[in-house]
Amino acid sequence: MKKILNSPADYVDQMLEGLCLAHPEYYQQPERRVIVRTGGAEVGKVGIVTGGGSGHLPIFTGYVGRGLLSAAAIGDVFASPSADQMASAIAHANGGAGVLLLFGNYGGDVMNFDMAAEMVTMEHDIATATVLLADDVCSAPPQEAHKRRGVGGMVYAFKIAGAKADRGADLAAVAAAAQKAADACRSIGMALTPCTVPQAGKPTFTIADDEMEMGMGIHGEPGVWRGPLRAADDIAEEMLTRLLTDMPLARGDRVSLLVNSLGATPQEELYILFRHAAKRLEALGVRIVMPLIGRYATSMEMAGATFTLCRLDDELEDLLLAPADCAFWRV
Amino acid sequence: MTDFNASDIKGAVAHLADGAEAAADFLNTADGRLGDGDLGITVSKGWREAADRADAMPDDVGLLFLALAKAFQAASSSSFGTLTATALMSAAKACKGRQTVPWSEVPALLAGARDAMMARGKGELGMKSVLDIIDALAVATAGLDTPAALAGAAKQACEQTLETFRDKPNGLGRARVYADKSIGIDDPGMLAVKVMLTALTA
Repeated sequence: MKKILNSPADYVDQMLEGLCLAHPEYYQQPERRVIVRTGGAEVGKVGIVTGGGSGHLPIFTGYVGRGLLSAAAIGDVFASPSADQMASAIAHANGGAGVLLLFGNYGGDVMNFDMAAEMVTMEHDIATATVLLADDVCSAPPQEAHKRRGVGGMVYAFKIAGAKADRGADLAAVAAAAQKAADACRSIGMALTPCTVPQAGKPTFTIADDEMEMGMGIHGEPGVWRGPLRAADDIAEEMLTRLLTDMPLARGDRVSLLVNSLGATPQEELYILFRHAAKRLEALGVRIVMPLIGRYATSMEMAGATFTLCRLDDELEDLLLAPADCAFWRV
Repeated sequence: MTDFNASDIKGAVAHLADGAEAAADFLNTADGRLGDGDLGITVSKGWREAADRADAMPDDVGLLFLALAKAFQAASSSSFGTLTATALMSAAKACKGRQTVPWSEVPALLAGARDAMMARGKGELGMKSVLDIIDALAVATAGLDTPAALAGAAKQACEQTLETFRDKPNGLGRARVYADKSIGIDDPGMLAVKVMLTALTA
């Protein structure tokens, strides 16, 4: 393992400490592994809480900020936070109008957030609603879409729900906007190299130098095929085609497209992928609104990229373009 | 003694922490045959954290169970830790607002814990898991209302359930991957319940 760290056991806590020291205007850590927006909950507004394992920055913690998330609970690398930490994040996010729990569809996170919701209801009488992101088309077929994992679609759901809450909407309306965003997103990933979880010390999988894997998940979950590395246009073509097969688009539709680096893939290569995808969408008569290209949902130092399509209507486009501010994204 | 209170529970938690620590290696070894071998650590860390925080916990039995759930899960957020905390949360809801709870409610608390664990873990009975043993305890203790009678029935049901499932394959959770290998071996989750029961009734 070749990583910049002091000790694997301190990896997450020292990362969070550094994050708060670097950006005190955005992030505070009132309790271990709980990051809240500086200034705390906004009285009278719905809070939005997410959570999940470390190793995906800017997801999850990074998107705590105005017009985005209120708080996040953070686990070890690729491991769920505890229900106790989630309950604490919910309590910190509560401004009296209820809290939306918005997170990816992973077993441990789902169980722990369910329990955290029970805890805060019993202890603090906080109303919660839950919306799960399940946008990875390669993780289950359409008839089992509820089993899909949540990946890049989280970025859109955070932004859209955050904007809705910022405007003072009630819990049901914020949850409805988040669900609408979740339903409008489809994602796919591809990987070139694995990453190493500090406490494990070994790569999450092995892959030959000349190979790629299509459909791989952000923790190295197996994809749909592994084979020789293809040209960027071919990769973009297949990724986009798989997304459009799952969510057909018609002439005149609007989408936002996120071309996301899994960590090690440079911005240059993301633009090469975007170039092809943008031309294909243009040829279909689909308009791209606010394309996102960069590191939004990573997997440590994994090389590879994900595409997320978010189909927009007037409401979603308006919320996506609304002001927001965190250390990783400003609109 | 027809009721139990916060002080009884705090005393029991101290016994659970000691008992789980004494049996940690045994549980790790049992778990190691079918998984990653950390169940003893999960159970002992969870109860030790709960015991360490117990003095400061409230006297309302429901809020005490809630505080125990949070403490256990904070130390052990593995799936077994989450299921244990789920059982404690179920008891918390049933006992909220009360300073004492009749011993006669223990079977219903066990049944409630079983149902909550099944719902959270999306598990079924009959698959050789911790759910089967909690179910057996709930059934065997039904109608009993003294600590001695509850303990006697629970211990007997615990042994019988281990016996019944020993030669069946595991059908739930991580141990399912080792279904064939699990035949003839006690389910580690069931053994963890036996360890806790032994600590509570010693």
